[in-house]
Amino acid sequence: MTTQTHQELLQKYAEAIVKVGLNIRAGQRLIINNATAQGIPPAGRALVHAVTKAAYAAGARYVQPIWGDEEMLRIRLQNAPADSFNEYPKFHVNAVLDMIKNGDALLSIYANDPDAFKGMDPERVAALQRTQLENNKEIGANISRNAINWCVVASASQAWAAKIFPDLQPEEAEEKLWQAIFETTRATLPDPVAAWGEHIKNLRKRGDYLHAKKYSALHYKGPGTDLTLGLPQGHKWISAQALAENGVIFTANMPTEEVFTLPDRHRADGTVTATFPLSYGGSLIEDFSATFENGRIVKVTAKKNEALLQKLVDTDEGSTRLGEIALVPASSPISKRGHLFYNTLFDENASCHLAIGRAYRFTLIGGEELTDEEFISAGGNVSLNHVDFMIGSPQMDIDGVNADGTHEPVMRNGEWAIDV
Amino acid sequence: MYPQEFDELLSKYADVIVHIGLSIRKDQILSIRGILEDAPLIRKVTASAYKAGAKYVDVLWNDEPSSRLRFEHADPESITYLPDWIFQRFEEYMKNGEAELAIASTDPDLFTGIDSDLLAKSRKARMLKFEPLRKYDNISNWCVVASAAPSWAKKVFPGIPTEEAQDKLWKAIFKACRIDTPDPVAAWQSHTDRLTKYKDYLNNKCYTALHYQALGTDLTIGLPEKQVWSGAQESFKNGITCTVNIPTEEVFTAPHKDKVNGYVKATLPLNLGGTLIEDFTVTFENGRAVQLTAKKGESDLRKLIEMDENASRLGEAALVRDSSPIKQSGILFYNTLFDENASCHIAFGNAYRTSIVGGADMTDEEFATAGGNKSLVHTDFMIGSDKMDIDGIKVDGTHEPVMRNGEWAIDV
Repeated sequence: MTTQTHQELLQKYAEAIVKVGLNIRAGQRLIINNATAQGIPPAGRALVHAVTKAAYAAGARYVQPIWGDEEMLRIRLQNAPADSFNEYPKFHVNAVLDMIKNGDALLSIYANDPDAFKGMDPERVAALQRTQLENNKEIGANISRNAINWCVVASASQAWAAKIFPDLQPEEAEEKLWQAIFETTRATLPDPVAAWGEHIKNLRKRGDYLHAKKYSALHYKGPGTDLTLGLPQGHKWISAQALAENGVIFTANMPTEEVFTLPDRHRADGTVTATFPLSYGGSLIEDFSATFENGRIVKVTAKKNEALLQKLVDTDEGSTRLGEIALVPASSPISKRGHLFYNTLFDENASCHLAIGRAYRFTLIGGEELTDEEFISAGGNVSLNHVDFMIGSPQMDIDGVNADGTHEPVMRNGEWAIDV
Repeated sequence: MYPQEFDELLSKYADVIVHIGLSIRKDQILSIRGILEDAPLIRKVTASAYKAGAKYVDVLWNDEPSSRLRFEHADPESITYLPDWIFQRFEEYMKNGEAELAIASTDPDLFTGIDSDLLAKSRKARMLKFEPLRKYDNISNWCVVASAAPSWAKKVFPGIPTEEAQDKLWKAIFKACRIDTPDPVAAWQSHTDRLTKYKDYLNNKCYTALHYQALGTDLTIGLPEKQVWSGAQESFKNGITCTVNIPTEEVFTAPHKDKVNGYVKATLPLNLGGTLIEDFTVTFENGRAVQLTAKKGESDLRKLIEMDENASRLGEAALVRDSSPIKQSGILFYNTLFDENASCHIAFGNAYRTSIVGGADMTDEEFATAGGNKSLVHTDFMIGSDKMDIDGIKVDGTHEPVMRNGEWAIDV
């Protein structure tokens, strides 16, 4: 076997993004962005170039990367007037919305430094993030209904890699992170596009099984966790692939190992303990638990950054409730790597997880057509936030609860307990 | 340079840009456009602008390789497409009187090997798209500066490692911009005072024409009756006066669009946004370029001056002494911001409205009648040398020396 060069792997990865992730149609425009860093960090350049080539080869009409620089955000946090954090590069938002309205494609490339805001004034960070959420609300709403084919992927960066592999030299750490990205996105396989086809089929079978069951609730039991989450009528189990309103079948996350739906925003009871730290707003929230009553978070505790977690929950009414429940086996390829990525795209695919905040409209049958009020009364959650946190482990058991109150195993010891 | 020395000079440069170049006012938004390689300077300018009271700094980052990829891989039919949001971004900031900084660090060879027709098509589309922004030119403070990006540095200093080339280019930038002086802000004040005196002298004289003579050049440039000589500083409708180019060594006005006759030889290559034009001569009749020869890039230059009806006419005549620090550096920068300040130059295409008395408030027809040229194009090229003599021609036809052997021949 010959070794594949970094450049070859990058090209295969880019092709998988364009063909499987976005499934770019001839004549589509493609906008590439990163909302949290207010543009793609320069570390994402090599991947942007590879994706750009692959997109043009697939017939894209125009590729628009929007660049950003996390150092600029830090400079702003340190130097800008205290009352100026309502300013935002709204033209980026206009650019994305214009693409959405026209039925074009959106790619988000993550390469962020998980410690970007370490040591910054938390009040200012909160103000910056609130402005960001408000300005991206309309984009979020469109993404939540799958208005267009969209995809989230990652590029390695030295700052991110240093966080994961603190003992390695910067270049070595970066290469190791690239290797992890290539392997978990199947870019190292001889035919990544075919491998993705197979993977997507397997995930769909589990989704179809759960969909046919129409459980009224799921019951989670693990160390520090005893939680019952109601499932609303009409909930839809989703995996890898989806059909966008513009008619394109796409895969929104690469990697993806999850099968997910929405919980009933009014029916969550019990306590859940996170099994991984949560990287939020450039800081890590560690060893935390949340207690629910009638769907609402009534208490949070954290060993580290509890105040930040409370701030997250206090963002708006919807941030006190859940919007996503996702099932991922503890033996997933990402989990097997044995380290945190400090990045939701990866860490959520290492573990069963929940999301605080907004539910995806497409996880409820007909959800795309509902007003916010209608969606809420159907059990869906509406919020500026959608923040995943990990709760799975090899000690986790999950039961499906039938309408008659009987239980059936869905996962045992963190692994699928259903035959498909 | 040692990292610490570089860091200190970069901070001083950023302060000069913010205080002299932009003269930022409290609560202004600063919009910056630059390439990703400009990040070290952009970050410094951003910190300096916030310290000076800017309320927000918004950067429009460009990635040069991405621009090239489009020419290499996109459907040629799609090349004229430009999204609206970039235009809207500029328009809103300019209209609202916000500050704008452009960083000119283009790789002179960025588009080497790309089809010149395709480049010309794209250039024209871009110019058409952004032409409506010209009407905001005099509303809010703007400035153009440079940053030593690696590809540009390698072009200026070939044959040495990139980092060394960047170091040399930074040193040259700092020197040309007076950053290596003990008090750069004070040095700029005395420099702009001196340029202002030349400008005032020429405005008082109000010559009917300039006559240029040098090896390969015998050119008469008629000047509008209501000519305005500008230089060093500009005042904007938002009440801010600032130095729009750093460095700057020029005083300039608009030629009369119909009154240019003779021939002129370029003394430096012209970097046409990533395509080099070398060793060229242009002949004018009644304002129009009627003949053009170039050793390299002739067809690119021809396409430029054929882009619209008035692209072949002149829109700027600028005087720069041959002993300018940029010329004396002996470096060919392949970058108009520097090269135009090394040499007397003229520009194909559009004239600045501010170069004619009341020009900003004239209709296009009135501006044209006054002698001002309107075009999508505004491209400077260098014609000065230490052999260049320039006379001012008075209404009565008599000549007076303005420059001799490339140096000022007037007392101010």
